[in-house]
Amino acid sequence: MARVALVIFLVLMVQQTVMVALRIGGAHPDLLWLLPITAALLDGPETGAIVGFWAGLAFDLVLPTPFGLSALVGCLLGYAVGTLTAAVDPRAIWLKPVAALAGSVGADMLFAVLGAILGQQQMVQVDFVALFLVVGVASVVLVLPVNRLMRWALAGESNRRSLVPAEGDAGVW
Amino acid sequence: MARTRRSRRTLTVIVLVVISLSLISLDLNGRSHRITSGLKSVANDVYAPLRQGVLDIISPIGDFFAGAFDYGSVQAQNEQLQRTLGQLRAEQAERSFQANQLRQLTALQNLPYLQSLPVVTAQTVDQYASNFTATVTLDKGRADGVDVGFPVVGAGGLVGQVVASYHHTCVVRLVIDGQSKVGVTFGTKQQYQGIVDGQGPGNDMTADLVPPYTPVHKGEVMYTSGLQAAAFPPGIPVATVSSFRTAAGASQETIKVDPAADLSQLAYVDVVQWVPPT
Repeated sequence: MARVALVIFLVLMVQQTVMVALRIGGAHPDLLWLLPITAALLDGPETGAIVGFWAGLAFDLVLPTPFGLSALVGCLLGYAVGTLTAAVDPRAIWLKPVAALAGSVGADMLFAVLGAILGQQQMVQVDFVALFLVVGVASVVLVLPVNRLMRWALAGESNRRSLVPAEGDAGVW
Repeated sequence: MARTRRSRRTLTVIVLVVISLSLISLDLNGRSHRITSGLKSVANDVYAPLRQGVLDIISPIGDFFAGAFDYGSVQAQNEQLQRTLGQLRAEQAERSFQANQLRQLTALQNLPYLQSLPVVTAQTVDQYASNFTATVTLDKGRADGVDVGFPVVGAGGLVGQVVASYHHTCVVRLVIDGQSKVGVTFGTKQQYQGIVDGQGPGNDMTADLVPPYTPVHKGEVMYTSGLQAAAFPPGIPVATVSSFRTAAGASQETIKVDPAADLSQLAYVDVVQWVPPT
């Protein structure tokens, strides 16, 4: 879990220092969603959900949005991506860009809608076209480096590329 | 075996979702909000210096490339700034006498005038951290006397209000944020009132609850009203009118406004240590 925590921290710092400065049309790229997406593609829905939860929780600590919302969306995103791509050949070259695009846009949409349901009406008052374009394109471009980082992180989990305990194991997380 | 894996996977996700929902309800509940706020406060105390360290490392690299590519415009901008500085110095000398008189008058009327209120000057360390909120983070927090609810001014008017205060940082909700509402007055004798509503980044703000056909003109400045229990002291410029019209049969005038403060120039702002009178 140490490597995963390190990757989450690294991505958080890059997001809050470099990415927030790259504002186009009022929106900036969002690296958070790439963590559960790549974890789910590499190791299935359960790992995707776990990584999404912890990454979301880390981001929640520094974001002004309701605490726990990023964790909830990250967890659901990881699970959804892992489940929906389970039957797809993981070597397909289109898989990562398509998952990054659809996953990031879908996560932002869910994030805004859940935020509005929780009383944060301003979360649906953003320019969604610009947001989806910026977040979607940036996710497609950045999915490969983040995927490499996540591969390294998951490979460190007891040398078996999984956060998910095998039958009879004690929980790793 | 496969069924066991599937049910364990489902259980994991259900547990994580339940934990997330519990955290959200803790955060949104008035009483238990202190727990999540405390967590965020500790995290920000750890995170802010780390983030600043990273920025100190990468900023010179970014500045180098920005300077190299935009050398001409930087030089022109510098000349323009020097000219503006000279004009402002001359204006300042002229206005100091008038400001002194005004301060004395408002003191006589027992009105909370902004210049007589204590302020904490703060530097902006983070802007628009989320795509879904219009907020900035300042480098001053509770330890510096900054508390939740304090107005923030700068760059020509009201910037926003402190919505979260941690040990050494605070988060300010900008006036353009969708959650922002500011009571304002306008007109030649400040006789009309309304509420300036933020509509989110990139969208025009609106002045609401203004009766139909209220006389208003383009460029007119709206100031904080400072009415009973208002969240801001009176007299701070909030917005300027950009367009207005009254549709037939409408119950209020449709007024679009721009922020009085230049929200692209928020390197330094003043946090006004003001609490509404009870």
